[in-house]
Amino acid sequence: MADPDDHSRGVALARAARRGDTLAMSDLLDHLTPYVGRICGRICGPAAAAGRQDAVQETLTAVFRGLRSLRDPEALYGWVRVLAVREAVRTARRDGRDTPAELAALPSPGDAQLAADIRDVLGRLSPEHRAVLLLRDVEGLDERAAAGLLGIPEGTVKSRLHRARTVFRRMWTA
Amino acid sequence: MTTDDPTAPLDPVRRLHVMAAGIHGAHVTEGVVDAPFDRVWAVMADLEGEFGRFQPDMHSLRVTRRDGERVAALARSRYGMRARFDGVLRPGWCWLQSRFLIVGMAAVADGAGATRVALTGGVRVPGRAALVPLGTRREPRLALARLRQRVGASR
Repeated sequence: MADPDDHSRGVALARAARRGDTLAMSDLLDHLTPYVGRICGRICGPAAAAGRQDAVQETLTAVFRGLRSLRDPEALYGWVRVLAVREAVRTARRDGRDTPAELAALPSPGDAQLAADIRDVLGRLSPEHRAVLLLRDVEGLDERAAAGLLGIPEGTVKSRLHRARTVFRRMWTA
Repeated sequence: MTTDDPTAPLDPVRRLHVMAAGIHGAHVTEGVVDAPFDRVWAVMADLEGEFGRFQPDMHSLRVTRRDGERVAALARSRYGMRARFDGVLRPGWCWLQSRFLIVGMAAVADGAGATRVALTGGVRVPGRAALVPLGTRREPRLALARLRQRVGASR
Protein backbone atom coordinates (compact mmCIF):
# COMPACT_ATOMS: atom_id res chain seq x y z
CA MET A 1 0.00 0.00 0.00
CA ALA A 2 1.24 3.52 -0.74
CA ASP A 3 1.41 5.97 2.18
CA PRO A 4 -0.55 9.26 1.81
CA ASP A 5 2.46 11.31 0.63
CA ASP A 6 3.44 8.67 -1.91
CA HIS A 7 -0.15 8.43 -3.05
CA SER A 8 -0.44 12.21 -3.59
CA ARG A 9 2.85 12.34 -5.47
CA GLY A 10 1.88 9.42 -7.71
CA VAL A 11 -1.49 10.96 -8.53
CA ALA A 12 0.11 14.37 -9.26
CA LEU A 13 2.66 12.76 -11.58
CA ALA A 14 -0.07 10.76 -13.33
CA ARG A 15 -2.05 13.97 -13.95
CA ALA A 16 1.03 15.72 -15.39
CA ALA A 17 1.87 12.68 -17.53
CA ARG A 18 -1.68 12.65 -18.93
CA ARG A 19 -1.13 16.24 -20.08
CA GLY A 20 1.83 15.10 -22.18
CA ASP A 21 4.68 15.94 -19.79
CA THR A 22 7.15 13.13 -20.57
CA LEU A 23 9.54 14.14 -17.77
CA ALA A 24 6.65 13.53 -15.37
CA MET A 25 6.25 10.14 -17.07
CA SER A 26 9.89 9.33 -16.32
CA ASP A 27 9.34 10.37 -12.68
CA LEU A 28 6.12 8.35 -12.52
CA LEU A 29 8.03 5.33 -13.81
CA ASP A 30 10.62 5.78 -11.02
CA HIS A 31 7.79 6.16 -8.55
CA LEU A 32 5.76 3.10 -9.56
CA THR A 33 8.57 0.64 -10.36
CA PRO A 34 9.36 -0.38 -6.73
CA TYR A 35 5.64 -0.76 -5.97
CA VAL A 36 5.04 -2.94 -9.04
CA GLY A 37 8.33 -4.77 -8.41
CA ARG A 38 7.23 -5.75 -4.91
CA ILE A 39 3.89 -7.13 -6.11
CA CYS A 40 5.41 -9.02 -9.04
CA GLY A 41 8.34 -10.26 -6.93
CA ARG A 42 6.02 -11.78 -4.35
CA ILE A 43 3.95 -13.58 -6.98
CA CYS A 44 6.70 -14.58 -9.41
CA GLY A 45 8.75 -16.00 -6.54
CA PRO A 46 12.25 -15.34 -5.22
CA ALA A 47 14.21 -17.31 -7.82
CA ALA A 48 12.69 -15.66 -10.88
CA ALA A 49 14.57 -12.40 -11.54
CA ALA A 50 14.03 -12.46 -15.34
CA GLY A 51 10.36 -13.43 -15.01
CA ARG A 52 9.89 -10.68 -12.48
CA GLN A 53 11.41 -8.09 -14.83
CA ASP A 54 9.10 -9.35 -17.60
CA ALA A 55 6.08 -9.00 -15.33
CA VAL A 56 7.15 -5.52 -14.17
CA GLN A 57 7.78 -4.36 -17.75
CA GLU A 58 4.45 -5.75 -19.01
CA THR A 59 2.60 -4.15 -16.11
CA LEU A 60 4.17 -0.72 -16.56
CA THR A 61 3.71 -0.88 -20.33
CA ALA A 62 -0.01 -1.50 -19.77
CA VAL A 63 -0.08 1.35 -17.24
CA PHE A 64 1.57 3.83 -19.60
CA ARG A 65 -0.53 2.78 -22.60
CA GLY A 66 -3.70 3.10 -20.57
CA LEU A 67 -2.87 6.22 -18.57
CA ARG A 68 -4.94 8.55 -20.73
CA SER A 69 -7.97 6.29 -20.44
CA LEU A 70 -7.80 6.10 -16.63
CA ARG A 71 -10.98 7.96 -15.65
CA ASP A 72 -9.92 8.97 -12.16
CA PRO A 73 -6.19 9.43 -11.44
CA GLU A 74 -7.02 9.02 -7.73
CA ALA A 75 -7.65 5.34 -8.56
CA LEU A 76 -4.06 4.98 -9.87
CA TYR A 77 -2.75 2.54 -7.26
CA GLY A 78 -5.74 0.19 -7.32
CA TRP A 79 -5.57 0.09 -11.10
CA VAL A 80 -1.80 -0.51 -11.14
CA ARG A 81 -2.20 -3.29 -8.57
CA VAL A 82 -4.82 -5.06 -10.69
CA LEU A 83 -2.50 -4.98 -13.70
CA ALA A 84 0.54 -6.08 -11.66
CA VAL A 85 -1.20 -9.10 -10.12
CA ARG A 86 -2.57 -10.23 -13.48
CA GLU A 87 0.76 -9.84 -15.28
CA ALA A 88 2.69 -11.56 -12.48
CA VAL A 89 0.35 -14.56 -12.42
CA ARG A 90 0.44 -14.75 -16.23
CA THR A 91 4.25 -14.56 -16.35
CA ALA A 92 4.69 -17.15 -13.59
CA ARG A 93 2.34 -19.53 -15.43
CA ARG A 94 4.15 -18.94 -18.73
CA ASP A 95 7.53 -19.70 -17.18
CA GLY A 96 6.28 -23.00 -15.81
CA ARG A 97 6.86 -22.11 -12.20
CA ASP A 98 3.33 -23.06 -11.27
CA THR A 99 4.15 -26.58 -10.14
CA PRO A 100 4.56 -26.80 -6.38
CA ALA A 101 7.83 -28.38 -5.27
CA GLU A 102 8.01 -31.83 -3.70
CA LEU A 103 7.78 -31.55 0.04
CA ALA A 104 11.02 -33.52 0.44
CA ALA A 105 12.86 -30.74 -1.44
CA LEU A 106 12.00 -28.17 1.21
CA PRO A 107 14.60 -26.98 3.70
CA SER A 108 14.03 -27.95 7.30
CA PRO A 109 12.60 -25.17 9.47
CA GLY A 110 15.32 -23.49 11.49
CA ASP A 111 18.02 -23.85 8.82
CA ALA A 112 17.73 -20.18 7.91
CA GLN A 113 16.18 -17.06 9.33
CA LEU A 114 12.44 -17.01 9.74
CA ALA A 115 11.76 -14.40 7.06
CA ALA A 116 13.89 -16.26 4.54
CA ASP A 117 12.02 -19.47 5.34
CA ILE A 118 8.67 -17.80 4.79
CA ARG A 119 9.82 -16.34 1.47
CA ASP A 120 11.16 -19.73 0.47
CA VAL A 121 7.92 -21.56 1.24
CA LEU A 122 5.89 -18.88 -0.51
CA GLY A 123 8.15 -19.29 -3.53
CA ARG A 124 7.21 -22.96 -3.73
CA LEU A 125 3.49 -22.36 -3.92
CA SER A 126 1.76 -22.09 -7.28
CA PRO A 127 1.33 -18.44 -8.47
CA GLU A 128 -2.44 -18.65 -7.93
CA HIS A 129 -2.00 -19.80 -4.33
CA ARG A 130 0.74 -17.27 -3.70
CA ALA A 131 -1.35 -14.42 -5.12
CA VAL A 132 -4.43 -15.21 -3.06
CA LEU A 133 -2.41 -15.75 0.13
CA LEU A 134 -0.56 -12.45 -0.30
CA LEU A 135 -3.65 -10.44 -1.17
CA ARG A 136 -5.72 -11.80 1.72
CA ASP A 137 -3.19 -12.50 4.48
CA VAL A 138 -0.42 -9.99 3.73
CA GLU A 139 -2.13 -7.09 1.91
CA GLY A 140 -5.27 -7.56 4.04
CA LEU A 141 -7.80 -7.33 1.19
CA ASP A 142 -11.27 -8.81 1.68
CA GLU A 143 -12.59 -11.63 -0.50
CA ARG A 144 -14.47 -9.34 -2.85
CA ALA A 145 -11.44 -7.08 -3.49
CA ALA A 146 -9.13 -10.07 -4.00
CA ALA A 147 -11.67 -11.63 -6.38
CA GLY A 148 -11.84 -8.37 -8.36
CA LEU A 149 -8.05 -8.15 -8.62
CA LEU A 150 -7.62 -11.74 -9.69
CA GLY A 151 -10.64 -11.78 -12.01
CA ILE A 152 -12.20 -14.83 -10.32
CA PRO A 153 -15.43 -15.40 -8.34
CA GLU A 154 -15.45 -14.82 -4.57
CA GLY A 155 -16.18 -18.51 -3.98
CA THR A 156 -13.02 -19.42 -5.86
CA VAL A 157 -11.00 -17.00 -3.71
CA LYS A 158 -12.38 -18.70 -0.62
CA SER A 159 -11.60 -22.25 -1.76
CA ARG A 160 -8.22 -21.26 -3.21
CA LEU A 161 -7.27 -19.48 0.02
CA HIS A 162 -8.23 -22.51 2.09
CA ARG A 163 -6.13 -24.74 -0.12
CA ALA A 164 -3.19 -22.25 -0.15
CA ARG A 165 -3.18 -22.03 3.66
CA THR A 166 -3.29 -25.82 3.95
CA VAL A 167 -0.38 -26.26 1.53
CA PHE A 168 1.61 -23.49 3.23
CA ARG A 169 1.04 -25.08 6.64
CA ARG A 170 2.07 -28.51 5.37
CA MET A 171 5.23 -27.18 3.75
CA TRP A 172 6.06 -25.07 6.77
CA THR A 173 5.81 -27.96 9.22
CA ALA A 174 7.41 -30.56 6.96
CA MET B 1 19.13 1.00 -8.94
CA THR B 2 22.36 -0.25 -10.41
CA THR B 3 22.45 -0.77 -14.14
CA ASP B 4 23.64 -4.37 -14.24
CA ASP B 5 21.78 -5.77 -11.24
CA PRO B 6 19.66 -8.75 -12.40
CA THR B 7 17.45 -8.44 -9.34
CA ALA B 8 16.50 -4.80 -10.07
CA PRO B 9 12.77 -4.54 -10.82
CA LEU B 10 13.40 -3.01 -14.24
CA ASP B 11 16.67 -2.30 -16.06
CA PRO B 12 17.08 1.01 -17.94
CA VAL B 13 16.64 -0.47 -21.44
CA ARG B 14 13.35 -2.04 -20.41
CA ARG B 15 12.38 1.31 -18.85
CA LEU B 16 12.94 3.03 -22.18
CA HIS B 17 10.57 0.56 -23.87
CA VAL B 18 7.94 1.34 -21.24
CA MET B 19 8.35 5.09 -21.81
CA ALA B 20 8.05 4.65 -25.58
CA ALA B 21 4.90 2.56 -25.11
CA GLY B 22 3.30 5.57 -23.43
CA ILE B 23 4.32 8.06 -26.14
CA HIS B 24 2.34 7.78 -29.33
CA GLY B 25 4.64 7.51 -32.36
CA ALA B 26 7.81 6.84 -30.34
CA HIS B 27 10.18 4.19 -31.61
CA VAL B 28 13.03 2.51 -29.72
CA THR B 29 16.26 1.69 -31.52
CA GLU B 30 18.16 -0.96 -29.60
CA GLY B 31 21.54 -2.54 -30.16
CA VAL B 32 24.66 -3.92 -28.52
CA VAL B 33 27.86 -1.88 -28.38
CA ASP B 34 30.97 -3.99 -28.06
CA ALA B 35 32.49 -2.19 -25.09
CA PRO B 36 32.01 -2.25 -21.31
CA PHE B 37 29.16 -0.25 -19.78
CA ASP B 38 31.39 2.34 -18.09
CA ARG B 39 33.08 3.27 -21.37
CA VAL B 40 29.84 3.41 -23.35
CA TRP B 41 28.03 5.44 -20.74
CA ALA B 42 30.96 7.85 -20.42
CA VAL B 43 30.32 8.77 -24.09
CA MET B 44 26.52 8.85 -23.86
CA ALA B 45 26.42 10.94 -20.68
CA ASP B 46 28.97 13.50 -21.88
CA LEU B 47 26.23 16.01 -22.69
CA GLU B 48 28.55 18.94 -23.39
CA GLY B 49 30.96 16.93 -25.54
CA GLU B 50 30.20 13.57 -27.17
CA PHE B 51 26.41 13.99 -27.08
CA GLY B 52 26.53 16.58 -29.87
CA ARG B 53 28.81 14.31 -31.91
CA PHE B 54 26.55 11.26 -32.01
CA GLN B 55 23.04 12.78 -31.81
CA PRO B 56 22.24 13.72 -35.44
CA ASP B 57 20.23 16.87 -34.74
CA MET B 58 22.37 18.32 -31.95
CA HIS B 59 25.15 20.76 -32.63
CA SER B 60 26.02 21.58 -29.05
CA LEU B 61 24.59 21.44 -25.59
CA ARG B 62 25.52 23.39 -22.47
CA VAL B 63 24.45 22.21 -19.03
CA THR B 64 23.14 25.20 -17.08
CA ARG B 65 22.14 23.47 -13.85
CA ARG B 66 22.69 20.16 -12.09
CA ASP B 67 20.85 19.17 -8.94
CA GLY B 68 21.41 15.51 -8.12
CA GLU B 69 19.99 13.60 -11.08
CA ARG B 70 18.20 16.68 -12.44
CA VAL B 71 19.76 18.62 -15.29
CA ALA B 72 18.83 21.72 -17.25
CA ALA B 73 20.60 22.49 -20.51
CA LEU B 74 20.62 24.83 -23.46
CA ALA B 75 20.94 23.11 -26.81
CA ARG B 76 21.58 24.35 -30.30
CA SER B 77 20.46 22.21 -33.23
CA ARG B 78 22.37 21.82 -36.49
CA TYR B 79 19.77 24.11 -38.04
CA GLY B 80 20.51 26.90 -35.56
CA MET B 81 17.43 26.53 -33.35
CA ARG B 82 17.88 26.80 -29.60
CA ALA B 83 16.04 24.81 -26.99
CA ARG B 84 16.00 24.64 -23.21
CA PHE B 85 15.97 21.07 -21.96
CA ASP B 86 15.00 19.76 -18.54
CA GLY B 87 15.71 16.19 -17.64
CA VAL B 88 17.15 13.37 -15.61
CA LEU B 89 20.67 11.97 -15.96
CA ARG B 90 22.00 9.03 -13.97
CA PRO B 91 24.09 5.95 -14.82
CA GLY B 92 22.27 4.08 -17.59
CA TRP B 93 19.41 6.54 -17.92
CA CYS B 94 18.95 9.94 -19.58
CA TRP B 95 15.63 11.59 -20.36
CA LEU B 96 15.60 15.13 -21.73
CA GLN B 97 12.57 17.18 -22.71
CA SER B 98 12.25 20.63 -24.26
CA ARG B 99 9.09 22.33 -25.43
CA PHE B 100 9.48 20.74 -28.86
CA LEU B 101 11.87 17.81 -28.47
CA ILE B 102 12.39 14.59 -26.52
CA VAL B 103 15.65 12.65 -26.18
CA GLY B 104 15.71 9.31 -24.33
CA MET B 105 18.80 7.12 -23.82
CA ALA B 106 19.36 3.94 -21.82
CA ALA B 107 22.20 1.48 -21.37
CA VAL B 108 22.78 -1.70 -19.40
CA ALA B 109 25.70 -4.12 -19.14
CA ASP B 110 25.12 -7.05 -21.50
CA GLY B 111 27.26 -10.00 -20.59
CA ALA B 112 31.01 -9.76 -20.40
CA GLY B 113 32.38 -6.57 -21.91
CA ALA B 114 29.35 -5.50 -23.96
CA THR B 115 26.58 -2.96 -23.42
CA ARG B 116 22.97 -2.99 -24.57
CA VAL B 117 21.89 0.49 -25.64
CA ALA B 118 18.46 1.90 -26.47
CA LEU B 119 17.59 5.30 -27.94
CA THR B 120 14.35 7.12 -28.65
CA GLY B 121 13.15 10.64 -29.29
CA GLY B 122 11.76 13.10 -31.77
CA VAL B 123 9.62 16.21 -32.17
CA ARG B 124 6.80 16.55 -29.62
CA VAL B 125 3.14 17.03 -30.37
CA PRO B 126 2.08 19.91 -28.04
CA GLY B 127 -0.15 18.92 -25.12
CA ARG B 128 0.08 15.18 -25.69
CA ALA B 129 2.49 12.35 -24.99
CA ALA B 130 3.12 11.96 -28.70
CA LEU B 131 5.80 12.50 -31.34
CA VAL B 132 5.45 13.88 -34.84
CA PRO B 133 6.08 10.89 -37.12
CA LEU B 134 9.19 12.34 -38.75
CA GLY B 135 12.63 10.80 -38.24
CA THR B 136 11.62 8.77 -35.18
CA ARG B 137 13.26 5.67 -36.66
CA ARG B 138 16.00 7.10 -38.82
CA GLU B 139 17.58 9.52 -36.33
CA PRO B 140 18.03 7.09 -33.40
CA ARG B 141 19.41 4.52 -35.85
CA LEU B 142 21.92 7.06 -37.08
CA ALA B 143 22.72 8.03 -33.49
CA LEU B 144 23.44 4.40 -32.58
CA ALA B 145 25.81 4.01 -35.56
CA ARG B 146 27.64 7.21 -34.58
CA LEU B 147 27.71 6.17 -30.92
CA ARG B 148 29.51 2.95 -31.89
CA GLN B 149 32.08 5.04 -33.77
CA ARG B 150 32.57 7.45 -30.85
CA VAL B 151 32.96 4.59 -28.34
CA GLY B 152 35.46 2.96 -30.72
CA ALA B 153 37.37 6.24 -30.91
CA SER B 154 37.45 6.54 -27.11
CA ARG B 155 39.63 3.41 -26.65
